[in-house]
Amino acid sequence: MQNTLTKISGETKFEFLIFLALALIPLVFSGYILFILPQYMLFGLLAVSLSILWGFTGIVSFGQAGFFAIGAYAIGIVVKSNFLMNSAILGILLGIVFSAVVAGVVGYFLFSAKVKATYFVLATLALSIIIEQLAKSQKEITGGWNGLFVDRILINFGDLFEYSLFNDVPMYYFTLLLTIIAFVLIKFLISSNFGKILKGIRENEDRILALGYNTSIYKTLIFCVSGALAGFAGSIYGTHAGFVDPSLARVLFSTEVIVWVAIGGRNSIIGSFLGGILVASLANYLNSITPEYWQLIIGIVFIAVVILFKGGLAGGFEEIYYRLITKKYASARN
Amino acid sequence: MELAASVILDTTLITLTLALAAFGLAIIYGLVGVINMGHGAMLTLGAYFTWAGLQLEIPFVLSVILGGFIVGLIGLLFEHWIIKRFYDSPYETLLLTWAFFLVTTELIKIVFGSDFRTVVNPYPGSINLGFYKIPTYRTVICLFTAFVILLTSFVFFKTSTGIKIRAMIQNREMASLLGLNISLTYKIIFGFGCFMAGLAGGLVAPMLSVSPYMGDMYLVRSFFVVIVGGIGQILSGTIIGSFVIGGLETIVALFSDQVIAQVAVFFFAIIILRIRPQGIFSEK
Repeated sequence: MQNTLTKISGETKFEFLIFLALALIPLVFSGYILFILPQYMLFGLLAVSLSILWGFTGIVSFGQAGFFAIGAYAIGIVVKSNFLMNSAILGILLGIVFSAVVAGVVGYFLFSAKVKATYFVLATLALSIIIEQLAKSQKEITGGWNGLFVDRILINFGDLFEYSLFNDVPMYYFTLLLTIIAFVLIKFLISSNFGKILKGIRENEDRILALGYNTSIYKTLIFCVSGALAGFAGSIYGTHAGFVDPSLARVLFSTEVIVWVAIGGRNSIIGSFLGGILVASLANYLNSITPEYWQLIIGIVFIAVVILFKGGLAGGFEEIYYRLITKKYASARN
Repeated sequence: MELAASVILDTTLITLTLALAAFGLAIIYGLVGVINMGHGAMLTLGAYFTWAGLQLEIPFVLSVILGGFIVGLIGLLFEHWIIKRFYDSPYETLLLTWAFFLVTTELIKIVFGSDFRTVVNPYPGSINLGFYKIPTYRTVICLFTAFVILLTSFVFFKTSTGIKIRAMIQNREMASLLGLNISLTYKIIFGFGCFMAGLAGGLVAPMLSVSPYMGDMYLVRSFFVVIVGGIGQILSGTIIGSFVIGGLETIVALFSDQVIAQVAVFFFAIIILRIRPQGIFSEK
């Protein structure tokens, strides 16, 4: 009991430190890192959206980039068409709602028929291709191959309050704040009873079914949440990057998310989040020093992680932490 | 009448070409249960090896066969070192074969570069039927596909090897108790599937431009061919699946553009996944 308590608070402390560090970065650094780090935080959220599916429920999705793209297009289209009042917030909300609805419809359609887990992967693969193709072909709405330019948004609530995200530092804190909110909500969801049922489904779906839970509803709901989170990250990405194009929905991007989560640790929310940030920045760095070999290196790391460390980096750390603790207890007892 | 005949010929060509591309996947998926996400990369590899063979002035047919063998060998090594330990966990094999795709694509880019290559059509021209001209090369490919599928079904249903393989699919443990070497059989099937993928890549190369991502467009369609046709129905299933996927795409493309046709096919495939996961015409 003592052990699990220290473990939980240890993880929360660690998460707090990570976000504290992220909050302090603009005070120390400036320039490119302040521009690029919010993007990586959003990639981190995208990774979290997969880890709640893969690590906590046992469902793999090859379509997370599709939801990310839906969010990005939602804000792009809303901001461009200049809907009345507050187009920025409306865009983000629509991004969330729309990806949640798509995920919900597809999820319920497949889960209610008890489609095999591996078939579900193929269906999400197809979903992401469908989204990409639609983005390419519906030129009037999406700009087709050329994509859409999205202005950095202005958050305002009437005349009361106005916050422009045009500069990097406001954008940084805006993204960080939303990331923390989303992160805390997801942590809350996963530690709730709902989250426990999800873990039960991962371990033994038949047993959870026998206990009287309608597992297909739970799977649909978590797929909805995952889609909504990916769409949310995508919508902020849209205004941050200032540009949205069909390549956001490409299958390769979806599988990059899988690589982040596998390396970061699929069973850990903070691990996946950091996986997204670290692998994306590592990729960026390797791309600048060995443009030819970086993807190869990441591919080989991915193979190694899948074969050798199922828990990814987070799993590795946890193991070391446990060993240290048990050693400490052992030595204390002696 | 002539229109009908040309539509039938056209559909046959599309069906058999797609069946050729999907065959290796159908074998591996249907017989050893591995979702081979590396299938597209294996097609691409086959195409590049064929191109390389032609550069060394090896005749086309020999280049294709050599390419198929090299891809088969790579598949065997991949199976031996990695896949064989994960037959019981479908997710892991899915991820590992996807990693195979990522790594192979990068290696192709490093070795051959990213620019487009062309493999010259060895049999240019067309066969004139009066009302319709069939490109010679596509006809050759389709005859070859029909031959390969017939030959495989012969091996599968009429030889003792085929009986052993079918016994193994029905009940792996029982087959192993009866003295069948399961791990060797798996290895051979996996290698044969990779060989077929490489061969198909070499054969379709003259009809497309060869680039590191050329296999991608076949990957997802091949999966849907296999699913629509029914997993494990490697012979009739592949033909039926190719007919449905290829035929549907052609028909929808008549009324709208290519992109919408692809989207429609994918939608259709997702619906089939749900309502008939055992394949569109399969029993049970």
